Amino acid sequence: MPLETPSYIVRFFIGKGGVGKTTTAAAYALKMAMKGFKTYIISLDPAHNLGDVLNTELGDEPKKVYENLWAIEVDYENMIREHLKQLSDKIKDIYGYLRIFNLDKYVDVLRHSPGVEEQASLEKIIEIIKNYGEKKKANVIVFDTPPTGLTLRIMALPTISLVWIDKLMELRLAILERRRAITKITGEEFEVEIAGKKLKVPIDVAEDPIYKELINLKSEYSWINNIITDPSKTIVALITNPEMLPILEAYRAYNFLTKIGIYTKYIILNKVLIVRSVPEELKPKINEQNKAIEEARKLFKDKTFAEIPYLPKEPRGIDDLKDVITYIEDIS
Amino acid sequence: MILSLTKKSIVSKFFEIFKGVFAGRSIEYISVELRELENVFALLVLGSFIGLPSPPTVISLRLLPYMGKELLVMTRVSERLDDMLGEMAGLFDIT
Repeated sequence: MPLETPSYIVRFFIGKGGVGKTTTAAAYALKMAMKGFKTYIISLDPAHNLGDVLNTELGDEPKKVYENLWAIEVDYENMIREHLKQLSDKIKDIYGYLRIFNLDKYVDVLRHSPGVEEQASLEKIIEIIKNYGEKKKANVIVFDTPPTGLTLRIMALPTISLVWIDKLMELRLAILERRRAITKITGEEFEVEIAGKKLKVPIDVAEDPIYKELINLKSEYSWINNIITDPSKTIVALITNPEMLPILEAYRAYNFLTKIGIYTKYIILNKVLIVRSVPEELKPKINEQNKAIEEARKLFKDKTFAEIPYLPKEPRGIDDLKDVITYIEDIS
Repeated sequence: MILSLTKKSIVSKFFEIFKGVFAGRSIEYISVELRELENVFALLVLGSFIGLPSPPTVISLRLLPYMGKELLVMTRVSERLDDMLGEMAGLFDIT
């Protein structure tokens, strides 16, 4: 049972566009809900199709779609708008004295800044884990993610931020040490003239607001980083099709995630062609598929595999998803 | 007696001056080093002002309200960039 120790678990379903992330994630979420765990499935993909898979209309607020199962389609536009609003409010706080008004009209430009989507998505992930996981509303939180590239950038953001914060803290300590040295030699307070006013400059870690803010930032990013790099809490399931290109992409994603300390446990091969008597035209395709599966099992030697066959009917709605569950029994 | 006292005060005066010169020189070195560290700090946090890659936006924004001194240093240094080599040469007595 995955829930013996932590009060909630987080699962990320990651893969190339179109491999069947949403269907697999939804089937897994349904499986956990049917076992009695309070489960939330959240689509972070800007091109949502969770609602299509569950055959119901979804939005930014959790909607109960089955006993113990709630689903959310994050409103991407709103998420970015919210993130930029927070940023612009902060800018207004800082530059309020300059009477910069009507800043909102520039917000549209800010949304095209590099990194905004990743930052906004990470904040949404943090918000969901805090609101549903930490507040004990959910036992299982399932994230259906955007295609691999964007997801990896989101997942790497806490690590990257922590690297920056550590370097800045190191530099800040060097600055404070030099300031203290000068104070010691001169025996006078360290002052600086800003806009005609003499201001006392901090020389100690305890009184330096920049260092204090860096400590705050470090604790915030460490919090989410500790959750997503804790294998007893967070596990990634990589979804791929039994073809070489998606498998190789999944392998690159796996290496990247391992490098930033995120644990991948499951490899789900979706849309596996299972044909009892293979027609001549399909033989090369089946051979290719078998080779690809063999390669996947070699590349992901110690991982747990699940194979979902190419189903005659595209799974839509709870009843169809129940059929998929039988293929992912080992995914917990 | 008077002579020895005068001698003593001359020696102590000499050491005082020597200490003063030495302290002044040390402060000069440390101050330049400090200014450059503050400049690098500002460039790292707010490097996007001059087209350098920046840390994630949230970090820059959260530190911005406290960066008054560093911003001032960064602006002053950038104003005198042409003259910086001369200043370094002066500091290390290179003529």
